[in-house]
Order: sequence, then structure tokens, then C-alpha cells
Amino acid sequence: MVTEQEQDTAVKVLDEKTNRQLLYYLDICTRCAICKDACHQYVTTGDVLYLPAYRAQLIRRVFRKYFTLQGKLIPSVVEASAPTDHLLDELYRTTYACTACRRCMYYCPFSIDTTWFTGIAKAMLVAIGRGSTILGELADAAIMKGENIDMFRDILIESLKDTENELKQRVGDPAATLPIGKQGAEALYVALAGTHTILPMAIIFHQAKADWTLSLFEAANYGYFLGDTAKARKIAQRFVDEAKRLGVKEVIISECGHAYRVMNFLYEAWAKEKLPFKIRAVVDVMHDYIKEGRIKVKPGSLKEPVTYHDPCQVGRNGGFYEEPRDIVKAVAADYREMTPNREKQWCCGGGGGLVAESEFDYIRFKGGEKKVEQIRQTGAKVVVTPCENCRLQIDSLNEKYNLGIRISSVMDLVVSAMDLPGGKPA
Amino acid sequence: MDWFSFIVAGVMVYVAVAVFIGGSLYRIVKWFRTPKSPIRQGMFPQPAGTAGRLLKMGKDSFIFPQVLDTDRWMWFFVIGMHLAGIGLFIGHLRLIFEFTPLYNAVGPVVMEDMAAWVGGAIGISLFIAFTYFLLRRFKSPYRELSVPEDYLLLGLILLLVLLGDHLRLTSPFELSSYRDYMASLLAFKPDFPAVIADSPAKWILVGHVLTANLLLIYFPFSKLVHSIGGFAGNLLRSE
Repeated sequence: MVTEQEQDTAVKVLDEKTNRQLLYYLDICTRCAICKDACHQYVTTGDVLYLPAYRAQLIRRVFRKYFTLQGKLIPSVVEASAPTDHLLDELYRTTYACTACRRCMYYCPFSIDTTWFTGIAKAMLVAIGRGSTILGELADAAIMKGENIDMFRDILIESLKDTENELKQRVGDPAATLPIGKQGAEALYVALAGTHTILPMAIIFHQAKADWTLSLFEAANYGYFLGDTAKARKIAQRFVDEAKRLGVKEVIISECGHAYRVMNFLYEAWAKEKLPFKIRAVVDVMHDYIKEGRIKVKPGSLKEPVTYHDPCQVGRNGGFYEEPRDIVKAVAADYREMTPNREKQWCCGGGGGLVAESEFDYIRFKGGEKKVEQIRQTGAKVVVTPCENCRLQIDSLNEKYNLGIRISSVMDLVVSAMDLPGGKPA
Repeated sequence: MDWFSFIVAGVMVYVAVAVFIGGSLYRIVKWFRTPKSPIRQGMFPQPAGTAGRLLKMGKDSFIFPQVLDTDRWMWFFVIGMHLAGIGLFIGHLRLIFEFTPLYNAVGPVVMEDMAAWVGGAIGISLFIAFTYFLLRRFKSPYRELSVPEDYLLLGLILLLVLLGDHLRLTSPFELSSYRDYMASLLAFKPDFPAVIADSPAKWILVGHVLTANLLLIYFPFSKLVHSIGGFAGNLLRSE
């Protein structure tokens, strides 16, 4: 049972975090429900809990009770409500299920941003200990790593020795290195956990003769998914501090949708500082390398039919529609577009940290049905997408719905189409 | 003027207009006094430059292309309702002044015929559109999403439109009588001319004014402020 004190805390968070944008959204939604056809989760389940306007409505009920005249005078007419157990339970299920794709915002006649509501809902839930446990643990682990990096540094560097050897072999250059913590490098590359986004980029950077260095930290930010901005900021700050210390000119974020969004749109507002370096998405960097002729890909070298999935945080919420497409089209002999695509694309269903939360498997697989349908319609055998969450999700959709496809990152696709002295990996 | 009409079609009109203007200003001031988050929305593709942003905001706010893309029937009724609303507003301006150039061009008879036909068509369109909005709310998932306020607002508007339609379609009074009443309101000496005061149709007019008053009073506290804040929402989109 939710205590009165917890209710007060939740309401206080709502009060403190209500800014002008949220106030507009609270006031202007007409509940026309145009958003119902925009949300992959509502469309596939028909459950009102997943209707974007309903997500917002839960917050509006609480807001009206405590902060509006009509909520005080005619509470039942405007459905004003305290954050009851039932309301908080629904809030948990609907906000942590939301993939933050913002397709509803695209279709809303008033451009109401649902993530503004889910963001505040998560902050309220976290404040009263009702946040996602697994996301909380993952966020804490990332912060712990940041605070104890001296303990991890040698292990990390040691673990990358094999990767460096593979790099030397693939590029046929015994002098090739995998620079870590290189002072004064041009760019800091922030990869993902594991080596699958390190080796391909190391090859690409080497071939492009780029002056780069690898971050000790991974790009993923579970604090953001959790909805705890203090933690999210700390997690991102790990490599922000590293970049400042090394004096790099740009920070390149790996193929990870939310990490790019966090760095490009949110971090400066959270930290109230102007970053002294540029934030770049790795697809943009690769696109430049190809355009400038710094790396070469063999046209048409991928014979199988290929399609491209726009990750929400890279496309609609990141602004890269054509760069990754250009790369894929440069390599593919048979490129097929999904419909709809670009700003109207359907979310894969795995965003918002869902792939890490097994308790949301039902909605993750159900919500993914739109993507399954789209992929099937193209008849593609390979799906390329520059976001780890999307890849994990499409991979599990592939397995569950027997799509018979292969999922590739853009960087893997680029490397596979490059003429390397060391040839293909064993 | 009998005491009831005096209160509802007299005093209350001033109260309603004052609450409408004061409340709307209060709402706008409240929006602007609440600190804006520095986080940009970052929704792509983004229109280029301030002119591009304003153009996109205008397009999104007046044409609702996204609604057309999703729900054609809804778009049809929504755009019809808003256009009819504009027509309605313009039509009511004739209570204050004559559209002289038009009047001179077509003459008094055609002018009255036109007002009857256009006004009637607008009134009926509004009734159909709002009925559609109301019926739509009884269907899932709109039903689950709706709050009592939604039905009350639609009910109030439907009543207002119905009474207005009655006045328009049965024409119990001449335009000049309405103008006399309007002039008395503007002179802060609310009174009905004898033709209205002595007619039983007076009560239709009083009911029309009463529902209009209630709508004006509730407006700043309802979702109807989307007519002001919607522009802000659509401008934020391209930030």
C-alpha cells in the first residue's frame, strides 16, 4: 500500500518538475485519441493502458487534484485523483512499457510529447521506490564502474589485447593499435559493452587514418531508461569527464540510439553546462568517411535483399535518415525500403530499456508485431539498423516469429564491404 | 427586460466575458511564468530557420496533416467544425456592424438570404460535427479515455448550437432587433427591444446566451485552451 508520505513525495516531484512544456501538454490535450493509431503498443494490443493520451491522463489526474482550481472545485468532473495504489500501478506498467519512440508526438495535432509525461512519471515512481528494479541495478552498476575506474582500467585494457591483435591481422598492419586514453586525440569513441562495436570501428578508424581513442566506458545509459536524471547524468558524465581530460574535439557515440539522444539533447540541460566538444553519431562519421573517400566500400557487395530500420532515437528523434541509408545503399545490391519509413516508421518495440526488462516481454513481443509485418513485406534477408536496442529486439522477433533474417549493424556492414588485406574474419 | 433575462442576458454576459478574457490571460501568463526546460524537443525532420518553423507550426495547427494521415473521418469533421466556427464568428459580427461593401454589392434581400443560407449551413454543420464528436466518445477506446468534462463540454456546446440553430432557422426576430440588444449590451445598459421582450421566442435567445456564457466562463479552465496553447505545442515540436 502506498503511504501518505509517499503520495506527498510523488506530488512534490510532480510540482518541482512541472515546466512550461509539461504545463502546455497538461492543459491542451483534448483526448481526441489521434495518437491511438500512432502507438505500436496500442495498435497491437487494443489495450487503453498503452494509449499515449491515457499515459498522459494518469499524470493529469494527479496534477489536477493538487494544482488546479477545477480539480479542487469539481474533482469528479475532471477525474482528479490522488496517486493511489491503482494509479501508481497503472503508471508503472504503462510508463516503463513505453519505448519513447515519439511516434504519437509526430501524429498529435498539438505535438504533445508523451516522453515528457513518462519522464515525470518515472521520476515520481523512482522517488517513492517504485522504479524498475532491474534498470536501477544496471544504472547503479554503471555508476559503480565510473567511481572505481582505477580498479577496472587494467582489466579492461587487458581484455582488449585480443581485439587489438585481431585488428592488426585484419588490416594487415602490425603497427595498428587500439588507442585507449590517448591524450590529445581528435575524437573519443564511446562504444557499447563487449567488443562487437569496438573491433569494426577500430578497423574503420584505422583505414580512415583517424586520430581517435577508445573510451573506458560504454555508451548505454540505464539511468535514462530508469527515469532518474541524477543517475543518468552521472553515467554519461563518466565519459564526458574522460573527454574533457583527454582534450578531444569530438565525442563519437556508437550505434546506440538513446545514448546519442542523451548526449545530443539532454546532457547539457541536466548538467547546466556547455560541452567543450562536439557530439557525433557514429553513422554520421562513417558517412563522412565514405563521402570523403577516406574509406572505400565495394558497391553491391551484399547480394542478399536488405532493408533498413530507422531507430526512433537515430531517425525521428536524432535526425539521421539519409546518412545510414546512403551507406546501406552503397553496399547493397538489392535494397528494399520498409513502409512506412523515416519519420513515420514503426518502433521495433524494444526501446526504452524494454529489452533489459523481462517483466515487459509480453508488450515487447506484442508491440513488435508491426515491425515483424513490415520486415516480412519487404522480403529482405538482412535488416540493418544502427541501434543496439533495435538489434536485440529484432533479433528476438526474428527468433520468435521465424523471420529467417540476419541483423547487422551499419559498422559491420561497412567492414564487410571494405577491401581489407587481412580478409574476412575467421 | 424581466429580471431573469436581465441577469442571464445582461449581467452574466459581462461576467462571462470578463472571466473568459481574464482567465485566458491568466492561463497564458501562467504558462510563461513557469520556467521552460532548456531541453530541445529535437523532432526530425526539422524545418529550416524561424520562418520555416512558423510555417510548419501554421500548417500543423490549421490543416492537421497528421490527422488526415491517420483518421480521415475525424479530419473531415474536425476541419469542418473549425472552419464552421470561423464562419460562425464572422457571422455574429453582423450583430455589431454591417459588412457594408458586400451589402452594397448584393443588396438587402440577397444579403439576408445569404445570411440565412450560409448561417443555416454553418449551424447545421456544427451540430453534425459535435454530434459526431459526442457519439465517437461512446465507442472504445475513446470511452475509456474520456472524462465527464469531455461529455459535459460537448453537451453544453451542442445545446448552444441547437438553440442558435433554432434562432437562425425559425427566424423569430429581425436582425435589427438583435442589433438593438447587442447595442444595449455594448452600452452597458442591457435591454431587449420590445419585439424580443414580448415574444415567447425570447427564452430561446436567453438560453442561447446562457449556454454561451457558461462556455466562455469554463473556456480558460478547460481543454479548449488548445486553441491558444496548441500553437505553442506545435512550435515546440521543431525546437
